[in-house]
Amino acid sequence: MGRNLKLKLGLSTFIVLCLIGFLAPYINYYRLGGKNPHEIGVGDRWETPSLRFPLGTDEYGRDIFGMLLMGIRYSLFIGILAGILGIFIAVILGFISGYSGGFIDHVLRTFMDSFLVIPVWPIFMTIATYIPKLSLISLSILLAAFGWSGSARRIRAQVLSLKEREYVKLAKMNMLSDLEIIFFELMPNIMPYIFIEFTNMVMGSIFAETGLRLIGIGPPMLPTLGYLLNITIRGGLLTTRPYVVAVVVSTLALIFISLNLLNIGLEEEFNPRLKKVTGL
Amino acid sequence: MIDTPLLELKHVTKIFKGGGLYGGREFKAVDDVTFSMPSKPNILALVGESGSGKTTIANMILGFLKPDRGEIFFEGENIRSWLKNKPKEFRRKVQAIFQNPYEIYNPFYRVDRVLKLTVKKFGLASSEKEAEELIYNALEAIDLRPKDVLGRYPHQLSGGERQRLMLARILLLKPKLIVADEPVSMLDVSIRAIFLNYLKEFKKQYGISCLYITHDLNIAYYIADKAVVLNLGRVVEIGSMEDIINEPLHPYTQLLIKCIPIPDPKARRKERLKLKKLPIREIRPEKGCPFVLRCPYAIKKCKEQTPPLIDVGGGHFVACYLYER
Amino acid sequence: MNKKKSILLEVRDLKVYYKTILGDAKVVDGVSFKVNEGEIFGIAGESGCGKSTLVEGILRIIKPPGYIAGGKVLFRGINLLELNERELREIRWKRIAYIPQGAMSSLNPVLRVEEQIIDAILDHSDMSRDEAVELAKKILTELGLPEEVLNMYPHELSGGMKQRIIIATACALRPELIIADEPVTALDVVTLKEVLQTLTELRDKYGATIILIAHDMAVHAEVDDRIAIMYAGKIVEIGNVHEIFENPLHPYTKGIIESIPSIKKRKMIKGIPGIAPSPLNWPPGCRFHPRCPYANDACKSKIPELIEVEPNHLVACHLYR
Repeated sequence: MGRNLKLKLGLSTFIVLCLIGFLAPYINYYRLGGKNPHEIGVGDRWETPSLRFPLGTDEYGRDIFGMLLMGIRYSLFIGILAGILGIFIAVILGFISGYSGGFIDHVLRTFMDSFLVIPVWPIFMTIATYIPKLSLISLSILLAAFGWSGSARRIRAQVLSLKEREYVKLAKMNMLSDLEIIFFELMPNIMPYIFIEFTNMVMGSIFAETGLRLIGIGPPMLPTLGYLLNITIRGGLLTTRPYVVAVVVSTLALIFISLNLLNIGLEEEFNPRLKKVTGL
Repeated sequence: MIDTPLLELKHVTKIFKGGGLYGGREFKAVDDVTFSMPSKPNILALVGESGSGKTTIANMILGFLKPDRGEIFFEGENIRSWLKNKPKEFRRKVQAIFQNPYEIYNPFYRVDRVLKLTVKKFGLASSEKEAEELIYNALEAIDLRPKDVLGRYPHQLSGGERQRLMLARILLLKPKLIVADEPVSMLDVSIRAIFLNYLKEFKKQYGISCLYITHDLNIAYYIADKAVVLNLGRVVEIGSMEDIINEPLHPYTQLLIKCIPIPDPKARRKERLKLKKLPIREIRPEKGCPFVLRCPYAIKKCKEQTPPLIDVGGGHFVACYLYER
Repeated sequence: MNKKKSILLEVRDLKVYYKTILGDAKVVDGVSFKVNEGEIFGIAGESGCGKSTLVEGILRIIKPPGYIAGGKVLFRGINLLELNERELREIRWKRIAYIPQGAMSSLNPVLRVEEQIIDAILDHSDMSRDEAVELAKKILTELGLPEEVLNMYPHELSGGMKQRIIIATACALRPELIIADEPVTALDVVTLKEVLQTLTELRDKYGATIILIAHDMAVHAEVDDRIAIMYAGKIVEIGNVHEIFENPLHPYTKGIIESIPSIKKRKMIKGIPGIAPSPLNWPPGCRFHPRCPYANDACKSKIPELIEVEPNHLVACHLYR
């Protein structure tokens, strides 16, 4: 693990971002003397970047830098929550489908595949438009609901391939129940893939949420980075102060890059190691 | 009083449906196979090349696959009933040794786990200390030093050691029957002999019978008392090991004996074996004798009707019209 | 056979090492032997003894972290280890052919058999396409393969058929030396017989010299003229195949011969206790001494030399000096 630069870089960057997100409200509290960056009139309108407002303010006098910090917090939170929910569904369905085989597998697989075929965006937009007061949880559930099927299929594939291994047959000969085989024989060897799928889903969810925001869909009470991007572009900062927009985009990019590095690093770490350990 | 055979297969057939969008073709991996093993401790060699159905038969005996036709009996009772009503007792009495020592251990755990689980799941010991003692004794009985093997991960042991650990596991359970699927084919020559000798020892000392699946007649001759020869899913000959090797009756068995490499340069056969021009792809005939396309003595009847197993006396059976009365 | 044969290949003290973090793994550590023209020379040994690496060293196809650490490989007097890539190309396939382990799975699945044989022929000769097609047909017929296979794809053919096509391709340009690494493992018995017959035919009809690497001693007993036994990176015994089987001198060879079951003999087979050592940790002195029932003090410290103890019978063992 020591030599895997991608993993180290990705993980450390991601942890730093999570830390920033966690501490964001406290930092802002300290910076703004108890005021909320989203409060209208914290500063004057259209203030140029200064020490107090490193990214200036928008048309309503809101502190952009403060909103950036909160944006990191909310984007990551939604991404991770959606990731957890999604992976939960993916693991359960992927395992049941892969291990059972036969009719159950057939039914579940059709179910999974139908989710892949559904046009996600239009449905997303419709739901988001008709339910304007989406809470954090509901949004995460929605994102998970459209992201789980790809991971479920891949997890199922892993289960299928490991199920026929001779050590599983031996476990059966040792009177292990199906549940014990799933948890003790298959799960430890599939765990690495589950982690990879998790980071995948986090990335996908943040991406989806940001995308929706850019079109203006999504609850305004959830000030994610996508929301920030939306209001800065709408407020004309793209032309007047492009560097502000650039900083927001770069922050988003940083989140994606760190998650991607983490993802690839994990894959590199677990694939060669698995090959070596199984002696193949 | 009739002696109940240890294992009995009666007209066992297994059909696999080949994949394919439009249903695909089905083929009979195992076709109407009948043979048995007596209750007295014995080793039966199931001889066949790849595609003969031998591994499928093993999987059915172990309960991993269900026969499509026919039945399998263990100690007089149907395997289905064993698995449904008393699975633990069945697994206690029927165990397996698999071919690939590199695949039988879960790479995530140390090798002890396999032994500890066996003790735990079958209730072989009443305390942890007793369990440890049992495991130590089993390891030492097959000349493995516990401190060299316990606590190690599978990739830290050689193929031979891994396979021998399976023997230790067998000793813990002392089953009535071991189904061994080519257990030594992936081991070095010097280790094979040791492993085979242990199997023979198990029969002698603990009364453990073995269904030994192999394609190598040299090994079958060394270890088994009786042999069943399979060709493309069908039984073509059954007999004592001596009969099969020294008096092979079925043309397929005769071909196997003629072709097998013998580890003695003096025994080299001088004449070049003239083998019939084989079809390019192995075809499994729908009916008739499976060997008909390669058989030098084939007649019209062989193509149309599947020859039944004919009793030629002395426990020797052949499925060939050459021996019809 | 008193006909004086010329030496086609002579390997002198060949060393092939692999660089690892823990030092050099001396996989092939000073191997010497001679192969006579027109004979089948077998190299036997269990897994890890270095026989495949030995052959890769002779053919100069060692990939890093492996490297040739010393020795000479004289092919009709020419040292193959000193040739450059262009000169090697002239020899490969035309004069020395190589059938690697698992070759049958290296057939290109998207090309017909004909294409693959012709590609190989055209790559290594100046023939025209038509001449190559004729040659392909000829070599297949000579080896008893039906012409129809030319138009087929590899996946349509059985394992044995594929292996014989590989051999046919390797022999198309009538090389003087054919090196086959485990050509019959994983083949069923009847195909094995056919392949072995093909190899003996190549020797008898075309005077080809064959080096056959296999771990199965029965295969060696069937076709070899002479055989070398390898253990832990070194050759421990060389001799005529009848001599070796009837009168094995080295304790390892004895152990192996006594471990082989045979349908011709009802006898106890013994096996050799212990495990083969690893190249990173060769035992000092004679590498077999930890498992040898006759080991004495000299065996634990001095490496025995390969010496001719009886005419044409060489052993590397302190018991014979």
